[in-house]
Amino acid sequence: MSTETDTRNPLVRDGAESTGLVAAGAVALAALLFALSLAALFQQLSLTDTLAGVPVSTFLGGALVVLGGAVVVFGVGSRLGYVETEPQASAGMVAGIAFGFVWFVAGGLVASQTIGVGTIGWLLSAIFVGGGVFAVSVVTREDIGSTLPAGVLTAFVGLVFVTGVIGPSWVWNLGWEQQASFTAGFTIPTLTLFSSLLSGWAAAKAYGGFGARGRHTGAYTLVYLNAVSIVGVLFILLAFTVYKGIGGVLNGFAVGAGVGPTSTVVLFGIAFSFDWPVYLPFVMNGVGLMNEFNGVLPAIVGTIWLVVGAVLFAVPLGVGAAIFLTEYAERGRFTQAVEVATNGLWSTPSIVFGLFGFAFLIPRFGNGKSLLAGMLTLGFMLLPLVVITSREAMLSVPDEYRDASAALGVTKWQTIRSVVLPAALPGVVTGIILGVGRIAGETAPILLTMAGGVFVPGSQTPDIVGGFAFTSSPPFVENPVLLDAASALPYQLYALITAGVGASGNVANPDEFKWATALVLLVVVLSFYAIGIAARYYFRRELNQ
Amino acid sequence: MSETTQRTTDMETENRTDTQTDPETTTGETEEQVQDEWRNYEFAGEPKLAVDDLDVYYGDDHALKGVSMDIPKNSVTALIGPSGCGKSTFLRCLNRMNDRVKSARIDGSVKLDGQEIYQEGVNLVELRKRVGMVFQSPNPFPKSIAENISYGPRKHGDIETGLLARLLGRANEDERDELVERCLRDAALWDEVSDRLDDNALGLSGGQQQRLCIARCLSVDPEVILMDEPASALDPIATAKIEDLIDDLSEHYTVVIVTHNMQQAARISDQTAVFLTGGELVEYDDTDKIFENPQSQRVEEYISGKFG
Ligand SMILES: Nc1ncnc2c1ncn2[C@@H]1O[C@H](COP(=O)(O)OP(=O)(O)OP(=O)(O)O)[C@@H](O)[C@H]1O
Ligand SMILES: [Mg+2]
Repeated sequence: MSTETDTRNPLVRDGAESTGLVAAGAVALAALLFALSLAALFQQLSLTDTLAGVPVSTFLGGALVVLGGAVVVFGVGSRLGYVETEPQASAGMVAGIAFGFVWFVAGGLVASQTIGVGTIGWLLSAIFVGGGVFAVSVVTREDIGSTLPAGVLTAFVGLVFVTGVIGPSWVWNLGWEQQASFTAGFTIPTLTLFSSLLSGWAAAKAYGGFGARGRHTGAYTLVYLNAVSIVGVLFILLAFTVYKGIGGVLNGFAVGAGVGPTSTVVLFGIAFSFDWPVYLPFVMNGVGLMNEFNGVLPAIVGTIWLVVGAVLFAVPLGVGAAIFLTEYAERGRFTQAVEVATNGLWSTPSIVFGLFGFAFLIPRFGNGKSLLAGMLTLGFMLLPLVVITSREAMLSVPDEYRDASAALGVTKWQTIRSVVLPAALPGVVTGIILGVGRIAGETAPILLTMAGGVFVPGSQTPDIVGGFAFTSSPPFVENPVLLDAASALPYQLYALITAGVGASGNVANPDEFKWATALVLLVVVLSFYAIGIAARYYFRRELNQ
Repeated sequence: MSETTQRTTDMETENRTDTQTDPETTTGETEEQVQDEWRNYEFAGEPKLAVDDLDVYYGDDHALKGVSMDIPKNSVTALIGPSGCGKSTFLRCLNRMNDRVKSARIDGSVKLDGQEIYQEGVNLVELRKRVGMVFQSPNPFPKSIAENISYGPRKHGDIETGLLARLLGRANEDERDELVERCLRDAALWDEVSDRLDDNALGLSGGQQQRLCIARCLSVDPEVILMDEPASALDPIATAKIEDLIDDLSEHYTVVIVTHNMQQAARISDQTAVFLTGGELVEYDDTDKIFENPQSQRVEEYISGKFG
């Protein structure tokens, strides 16, 4: 590839060399083991199943031995000069400490659990093993120092699985009061996960040929695996809810002309009636004795009005306060105090806000739990975040824009309205999105301020728009619906979970009903989220299309 | 009558410079030199801007030291001097943009058409409408090119657009389009952007942004235009166009321009003020005299490139 006289590193490396293939294969194997161990950890893969003709635990063990072996072989091969790499003099402190700590734990466990020496004995051997590995990885050249400790440990863990020292029926009882124990179902996947990460890191370094490039590849692989696993776990959570809830949501689902309920829209005094062409009873019905299929419509509508009300209350106030704090107030003690206070309010537990609503708002709104009290309580919860994020967003608007506007002879308020606010809007919207995500799923304040019930009849669906009426005496409008108790999805879910046996109302299958409610809650919150993202996207594009 | 008043002001200025520099002559030569070198610039007619004994401090940093100069109406005044000598600071004092700098403290007097701008009750919005400014670094709004131009007049209520105005029958979108075109043509930008007026201004090149800012400044039709190195990011062709523009502008406007380019100052300006490090105005006179026969040794050295 390079001539003999050329001592510099080659500009172009041929990734498909046969030696490079060993390292690449090791990385791929590590990724595969990583995925398998995650699947096993979430019980999507049973340890007693067979995979490729052997039990899963044996398969994992064998694969770990191969992986560890490959890493060691590559490292030694590089040290002996069979593989062309550009290692540095040492693997470095970080790798040394990481390997040393892992070996410290491994050594200690083997000494105390398998060999059975006393506390001093295992501590000493752990320190000895950990220190030794630290020394090896720091003192030797990088190709040995970053492969040998990882590879040997991985192979060792693999051997433990293959020989059945830790088999599918293995249990380690900690002997604590609470009967805590490690089972194979947890231990084998976890150990596989860590070993494959460790060896994958080493193999990725080897694939990059060690040196700066190798470290880059290693770090990249670690970060990538990490991100993938986080996304994977989140996805499993979501998939689980959908899987459990979809049956209940689709109960009685029908499509066709006139199958749905009848809606009436009044426009300019003329009423139009139409039948929905789809019938999804779970989101179109309440709970009722005569219902063929029951649903959670009152709670859905309640949640939506709750969030809309809280946003309408908190956003103008919060943005206004942020404008005052950033554009008008002198920066000093006062603004600092307000900042600390808003941050503190945002971290205040929601039950405290709930209690405030219960003790302060409810007595003022007809002394009963009501939708309005819930809206305001959640609005108070949302307020600090809106202030904080709007303030950040306005502070990050460059002063040049304000100067440019001032130099044109434009007043401060006009500048704020036409230049600062539009530029800050995406940030403000981000804050609202985050806040709505939190309050839409909030249970405690609703419990105290607007509680509906476990199984809410369709007649309790809040009709805020229809509830408005004009009166002849001040304040000339009234909306009694606002002062009625209403339900919301998170509270209904909570009530369903805690409801005792026999409280099942007219619902045939409360468990299915519960999961379906959870799924609908998820969808409602994600819809708010989607609306927010769309709004932010729109404002951003306005700003720099 | 007014001429005599002018004289006395001038004399006062001179006296004050004397009295002020005297107690500070601790460092010796330079202060005395300033005194010796100083020659008052005389011109016929009313000054548009009369700056008298202007001191600016940023915290403890004395950035401008007792600057006095009268800027004649409908002319081009160039400010030259080494970097950091206070040219931008001086410029920002003329429309009170320095008020926006927290640490800045300003002491002295600036009169616009004989009216003190550093006094209680001055309407800054009105002042800045009359004294426009183009900043040293381009700062277009994150809006479309057309909106950047129409922003000022719209906010002043000179142009009304939008749904409400249209409903009330007051919308004058044609006027707006004319204004946008005229300002962009004046700033030598029209040919490059005429087909993308609705694109975001941040997508323009640095030089185009600079010209957009000039166009934006023209849109509100100020009486005085302050320009801080308006041609620093422009190629020779655009620079020539801007210089032509400045030449045209000087028929109806008073232009004060900061530049690092001596040839440019010599080409476009009627009078030149030389600031030197430390924030002192060392010499102010007709441009020809400054470049051909400077009174001050230091100015001569600076102009011939020996001294910065
Ligand atoms: N906002 C500010 N805060 C503190 N000091 C400042 C500020 N603006 C300017 N200064 C100081 O005032 C002095 C003059 O600055 P100024 O910007 O007026 O220089 P200049 O002549 O415009 O230089 P240049 O040619 O590089 O633009 C400098 O020493 C600078 O450090
Ligand atoms: Mg400057």
